[in-house]
Amino acid sequence: MANLKGMLPLTEAFYYILIALYAQPSHGYGIMQEVEGMSGGRVKLGAGTLYTALNALLGKGLIDHYPGPEGTDARRKMYSITQDGRDTVASEMSRLEELLVAGRRIVHSEEA
Amino acid sequence: MGNHARMERKYHLWFSWQYEQEERWINEMSRQGLHWKRGGVIRSEFERDASVRYTYRLDYQLGLGKEKLQEYLELYRDAGWEFAGNCTQAWYYFRREWRPDEDPQLYTDRESLVAHYMRLRRMITVMLLLNLIIMCLNGIGLLPRANGHLWGIYVPVLAIYALLFLLLGIGIVQINRKLKTISS
Repeated sequence: MANLKGMLPLTEAFYYILIALYAQPSHGYGIMQEVEGMSGGRVKLGAGTLYTALNALLGKGLIDHYPGPEGTDARRKMYSITQDGRDTVASEMSRLEELLVAGRRIVHSEEA
Repeated sequence: MGNHARMERKYHLWFSWQYEQEERWINEMSRQGLHWKRGGVIRSEFERDASVRYTYRLDYQLGLGKEKLQEYLELYRDAGWEFAGNCTQAWYYFRREWRPDEDPQLYTDRESLVAHYMRLRRMITVMLLLNLIIMCLNGIGLLPRANGHLWGIYVPVLAIYALLFLLLGIGIVQINRKLKTISS
Protein backbone atom coordinates (compact mmCIF):
# COMPACT_ATOMS: atom_id res chain seq x y z
CA MET A 1 0.00 0.00 0.00
CA ALA A 2 1.16 3.52 -0.70
CA ASN A 3 2.86 5.61 1.92
CA LEU A 4 -0.03 7.98 2.41
CA LYS A 5 1.12 11.58 2.67
CA GLY A 6 4.65 10.57 3.59
CA MET A 7 3.64 9.70 7.15
CA LEU A 8 5.31 6.31 7.37
CA PRO A 9 6.88 5.12 9.54
CA LEU A 10 4.56 6.51 12.18
CA THR A 11 5.95 7.55 15.52
CA GLU A 12 4.71 5.53 18.47
CA ALA A 13 2.53 8.44 19.54
CA PHE A 14 0.96 8.86 16.09
CA TYR A 15 0.40 5.13 15.75
CA TYR A 16 -1.23 4.69 19.13
CA ILE A 17 -3.41 7.78 18.72
CA LEU A 18 -4.70 6.50 15.38
CA ILE A 19 -5.32 3.05 16.84
CA ALA A 20 -7.17 4.55 19.80
CA LEU A 21 -9.40 6.54 17.44
CA TYR A 22 -9.86 3.57 15.12
CA ALA A 23 -12.14 1.97 17.70
CA GLN A 24 -14.22 5.06 18.40
CA PRO A 25 -14.08 8.87 18.44
CA SER A 26 -12.60 10.24 21.63
CA HIS A 27 -11.31 13.37 23.34
CA GLY A 28 -7.74 14.07 24.37
CA TYR A 29 -8.06 12.61 27.83
CA GLY A 30 -9.72 9.45 26.48
CA ILE A 31 -6.89 9.00 24.00
CA MET A 32 -4.28 9.36 26.73
CA GLN A 33 -5.97 6.74 28.90
CA GLU A 34 -6.52 4.37 25.99
CA VAL A 35 -2.90 4.60 24.83
CA GLU A 36 -1.54 4.02 28.31
CA GLY A 37 -3.81 1.00 28.69
CA MET A 38 -2.98 -0.50 25.29
CA SER A 39 0.76 -0.22 25.88
CA GLY A 40 0.52 -1.69 29.36
CA GLY A 41 1.49 1.64 30.90
CA ARG A 42 4.64 2.03 28.82
CA VAL A 43 3.52 4.91 26.60
CA LYS A 44 2.31 7.85 28.66
CA LEU A 45 1.66 10.70 26.26
CA GLY A 46 2.64 14.09 27.64
CA ALA A 47 0.17 16.89 27.10
CA GLY A 48 2.47 18.71 24.68
CA THR A 49 3.21 15.55 22.72
CA LEU A 50 -0.48 14.73 22.39
CA TYR A 51 -1.42 18.27 21.43
CA THR A 52 1.34 18.48 18.82
CA ALA A 53 0.42 15.08 17.40
CA LEU A 54 -3.30 15.87 17.20
CA ASN A 55 -2.56 19.08 15.32
CA ALA A 56 -0.21 17.28 12.94
CA LEU A 57 -2.76 14.50 12.30
CA LEU A 58 -5.51 17.07 11.76
CA GLY A 59 -3.26 18.94 9.34
CA LYS A 60 -2.56 15.76 7.36
CA GLY A 61 -6.24 14.87 7.30
CA LEU A 62 -5.75 11.57 9.13
CA ILE A 63 -8.13 12.62 11.88
CA ASP A 64 -10.95 15.14 12.05
CA HIS A 65 -12.96 17.03 14.61
CA TYR A 66 -15.96 15.05 15.71
CA PRO A 67 -19.14 16.79 16.81
CA GLY A 68 -19.60 15.80 20.44
CA PRO A 69 -22.90 14.37 21.65
CA GLU A 70 -25.58 16.91 22.48
CA GLY A 71 -25.26 18.49 25.90
CA THR A 72 -21.63 17.52 26.48
CA ASP A 73 -18.96 20.03 27.38
CA ALA A 74 -18.29 21.79 24.07
CA ARG A 75 -14.80 22.82 25.18
CA ARG A 76 -13.73 19.20 25.30
CA LYS A 77 -12.99 18.56 21.65
CA MET A 78 -13.67 15.14 20.20
CA TYR A 79 -11.63 13.59 17.40
CA SER A 80 -12.38 10.84 14.92
CA ILE A 81 -10.26 8.94 12.41
CA THR A 82 -10.73 9.60 8.68
CA GLN A 83 -10.53 7.11 5.81
CA ASP A 84 -6.99 8.35 5.10
CA GLY A 85 -6.21 7.68 8.74
CA ARG A 86 -7.53 4.15 8.49
CA ASP A 87 -5.52 3.52 5.32
CA THR A 88 -2.40 4.88 6.95
CA VAL A 89 -2.83 2.59 9.95
CA ALA A 90 -3.31 -0.38 7.62
CA SER A 91 -0.13 0.48 5.67
CA GLU A 92 1.83 0.92 8.86
CA MET A 93 0.64 -2.41 10.19
CA SER A 94 1.71 -4.28 7.08
CA ARG A 95 5.06 -2.49 7.26
CA LEU A 96 5.49 -3.55 10.89
CA GLU A 97 4.36 -7.07 10.01
CA GLU A 98 7.05 -7.31 7.35
CA LEU A 99 9.67 -6.18 9.86
CA LEU A 100 8.52 -8.79 12.35
CA VAL A 101 8.35 -11.60 9.82
CA ALA A 102 11.85 -10.85 8.54
CA GLY A 103 13.21 -10.58 12.05
CA ARG A 104 11.55 -13.74 13.30
CA ARG A 105 12.77 -15.75 10.31
CA ILE A 106 16.38 -15.03 11.17
CA VAL A 107 16.17 -15.00 14.95
CA HIS A 108 14.10 -18.18 15.21
CA SER A 109 16.19 -20.12 12.72
CA GLU A 110 19.26 -19.32 14.82
CA GLU A 111 17.49 -20.60 17.91
CA ALA A 112 16.36 -23.81 16.23
CA MET B 1 -6.01 42.23 52.68
CA GLY B 2 -3.69 39.46 53.77
CA ASN B 3 -3.76 38.27 50.20
CA HIS B 4 -1.56 41.12 49.13
CA ALA B 5 1.11 40.57 51.71
CA ARG B 6 1.85 37.07 50.47
CA MET B 7 2.91 38.24 47.01
CA GLU B 8 6.60 38.66 46.32
CA ARG B 9 8.36 40.13 43.35
CA LYS B 10 11.49 38.62 41.82
CA TYR B 11 13.69 39.69 38.94
CA HIS B 12 15.13 37.11 36.61
CA LEU B 13 15.96 37.76 32.98
CA TRP B 14 15.55 34.90 30.53
CA PHE B 15 15.41 34.41 26.77
CA SER B 16 13.13 31.98 25.04
CA TRP B 17 15.90 29.49 24.30
CA GLN B 18 16.64 29.35 28.03
CA TYR B 19 13.14 28.39 29.04
CA GLU B 20 14.29 25.18 30.67
CA GLN B 21 16.59 27.12 33.00
CA GLU B 22 13.69 29.45 33.82
CA GLU B 23 11.56 26.39 34.52
CA ARG B 24 14.19 25.06 36.92
CA TRP B 25 14.39 28.42 38.67
CA ILE B 26 10.61 28.64 39.08
CA ASN B 27 10.51 25.08 40.38
CA GLU B 28 13.28 25.86 42.87
CA MET B 29 11.25 28.89 44.01
CA SER B 30 8.25 26.64 44.52
CA ARG B 31 10.36 24.28 46.59
CA GLN B 32 11.08 27.27 48.83
CA GLY B 33 7.38 28.05 49.10
CA LEU B 34 7.19 30.76 46.44
CA HIS B 35 4.77 29.91 43.65
CA TRP B 36 4.77 31.67 40.30
CA LYS B 37 1.60 33.66 39.77
CA ARG B 38 2.26 36.01 36.91
CA GLY B 39 5.14 37.68 35.20
CA GLY B 40 7.42 37.34 32.28
CA VAL B 41 10.88 37.75 30.89
CA ILE B 42 12.21 39.97 33.65
CA ARG B 43 9.83 40.36 36.55
CA SER B 44 7.68 37.66 38.10
CA GLU B 45 5.33 37.68 41.03
CA PHE B 46 5.22 34.78 43.41
CA GLU B 47 2.74 33.80 46.06
CA ARG B 48 4.14 32.63 49.36
CA ASP B 49 2.58 29.46 50.70
CA ALA B 50 4.71 27.00 52.59
CA SER B 51 2.02 24.32 52.60
CA VAL B 52 2.30 23.36 48.92
CA ARG B 53 4.89 22.69 46.25
CA TYR B 54 4.36 22.55 42.51
CA THR B 55 6.08 21.27 39.42
CA TYR B 56 5.98 23.98 36.76
CA ARG B 57 6.36 23.55 33.03
CA LEU B 58 6.62 26.22 30.34
CA ASP B 59 5.19 25.65 26.90
CA TYR B 60 5.70 27.65 23.74
CA GLN B 61 2.63 28.03 21.52
CA LEU B 62 2.44 30.96 19.17
CA GLY B 63 -0.73 32.35 17.64
CA LEU B 64 -3.47 30.42 19.39
CA GLY B 65 -6.84 31.92 18.52
CA LYS B 66 -9.60 32.08 21.07
CA GLU B 67 -11.07 28.71 20.21
CA LYS B 68 -7.70 27.01 19.76
CA LEU B 69 -6.60 28.37 23.11
CA GLN B 70 -9.60 26.87 24.90
CA GLU B 71 -9.00 23.52 23.24
CA TYR B 72 -5.33 23.70 24.20
CA LEU B 73 -5.91 24.59 27.85
CA GLU B 74 -8.65 21.98 28.16
CA LEU B 75 -6.38 19.26 26.87
CA TYR B 76 -3.60 20.20 29.27
CA ARG B 77 -6.07 20.39 32.13
CA ASP B 78 -7.32 16.92 31.29
CA ALA B 79 -3.73 15.75 31.45
CA GLY B 80 -3.48 17.10 34.99
CA TRP B 81 -1.93 20.52 34.31
CA GLU B 82 -3.34 23.61 35.92
CA PHE B 83 -2.94 26.68 33.72
CA ALA B 84 -1.01 29.17 35.84
CA GLY B 85 -0.79 32.05 33.38
CA ASN B 86 1.00 33.25 30.31
CA CYS B 87 3.73 35.67 29.42
CA THR B 88 3.11 37.35 26.07
CA GLN B 89 0.93 35.33 23.71
CA ALA B 90 3.58 32.68 23.32
CA TRP B 91 4.65 31.28 26.69
CA TYR B 92 2.16 29.33 28.75
CA TYR B 93 2.89 28.32 32.35
CA PHE B 94 1.42 25.12 33.71
CA ARG B 95 1.76 23.49 37.09
CA ARG B 96 0.71 20.47 39.04
CA GLU B 97 1.29 19.45 42.61
CA TRP B 98 4.81 18.24 43.12
CA ARG B 99 5.35 14.60 43.91
CA PRO B 100 8.65 13.05 44.90
CA ASP B 101 8.23 10.00 42.67
CA GLU B 102 7.56 11.76 39.37
CA ASP B 103 9.07 14.23 36.97
CA PRO B 104 6.20 14.96 34.59
CA GLN B 105 7.09 16.34 31.14
CA LEU B 106 4.95 18.00 28.51
CA TYR B 107 6.93 16.43 25.69
CA THR B 108 7.42 12.73 26.16
CA ASP B 109 8.99 11.67 22.91
CA ARG B 110 11.90 12.83 20.83
CA GLU B 111 9.83 13.74 17.78
CA SER B 112 7.53 16.17 19.55
CA LEU B 113 10.40 17.72 21.51
CA VAL B 114 12.27 18.30 18.27
CA ALA B 115 9.15 19.87 16.78
CA HIS B 116 8.89 22.12 19.85
CA TYR B 117 12.46 23.35 19.52
CA MET B 118 12.00 23.88 15.80
CA ARG B 119 8.95 26.07 16.39
CA LEU B 120 11.04 28.10 18.79
CA ARG B 121 13.90 28.40 16.31
CA ARG B 122 11.53 29.49 13.58
CA MET B 123 10.24 32.34 15.75
CA ILE B 124 13.77 33.55 16.55
CA THR B 125 14.77 33.34 12.89
CA VAL B 126 11.72 35.36 11.84
CA MET B 127 12.57 37.99 14.48
CA LEU B 128 16.13 38.17 13.21
CA LEU B 129 15.06 38.60 9.58
CA LEU B 130 12.39 41.12 10.49
CA ASN B 131 14.91 43.25 12.36
CA LEU B 132 17.36 42.97 9.52
CA ILE B 133 14.73 44.30 7.13
CA ILE B 134 13.78 47.12 9.50
CA MET B 135 17.42 48.05 9.91
CA CYS B 136 17.94 48.16 6.16
CA LEU B 137 14.81 50.25 5.60
CA ASN B 138 15.90 52.69 8.31
CA GLY B 139 19.36 52.83 6.82
CA ILE B 140 18.01 53.62 3.36
CA GLY B 141 15.80 56.34 4.84
CA LEU B 142 18.63 57.96 6.73
CA LEU B 143 21.43 57.61 4.23
CA PRO B 144 20.52 60.50 1.88
CA ARG B 145 20.53 62.86 4.82
CA ALA B 146 23.75 61.50 6.19
CA ASN B 147 26.20 64.21 7.09
CA GLY B 148 28.64 64.71 9.89
CA HIS B 149 26.35 65.05 12.87
CA LEU B 150 24.13 62.10 11.95
CA TRP B 151 26.92 59.72 12.88
CA GLY B 152 26.00 60.41 16.45
CA ILE B 153 22.76 58.57 15.77
CA TYR B 154 24.11 55.97 13.37
CA VAL B 155 26.75 54.50 15.60
CA PRO B 156 24.61 53.83 18.67
CA VAL B 157 21.72 52.50 16.57
CA LEU B 158 24.05 50.14 14.73
CA ALA B 159 25.55 49.05 18.02
CA ILE B 160 22.11 48.20 19.36
CA TYR B 161 21.27 46.25 16.21
CA ALA B 162 24.58 44.41 16.37
CA LEU B 163 23.81 43.39 19.95
CA LEU B 164 20.33 42.26 18.99
CA PHE B 165 21.60 40.15 16.10
CA LEU B 166 24.30 38.68 18.30
CA LEU B 167 21.72 37.74 20.92
CA LEU B 168 19.30 36.17 18.44
CA GLY B 169 22.23 34.42 16.76
CA ILE B 170 23.25 32.94 20.10
CA GLY B 171 19.67 31.77 20.54
CA ILE B 172 19.67 29.94 17.24
CA VAL B 173 23.05 28.34 17.97
CA GLN B 174 21.82 27.20 21.40
CA ILE B 175 18.69 25.62 19.95
CA ASN B 176 20.71 23.91 17.23
CA ARG B 177 22.94 22.48 19.93
CA LYS B 178 19.92 21.13 21.80
CA LEU B 179 18.50 19.61 18.63
CA LYS B 180 21.82 17.88 18.01
CA THR B 181 21.85 16.46 21.54
CA ILE B 182 18.33 15.11 21.21
CA SER B 183 18.87 13.44 17.85
CA SER B 184 22.22 11.85 18.68
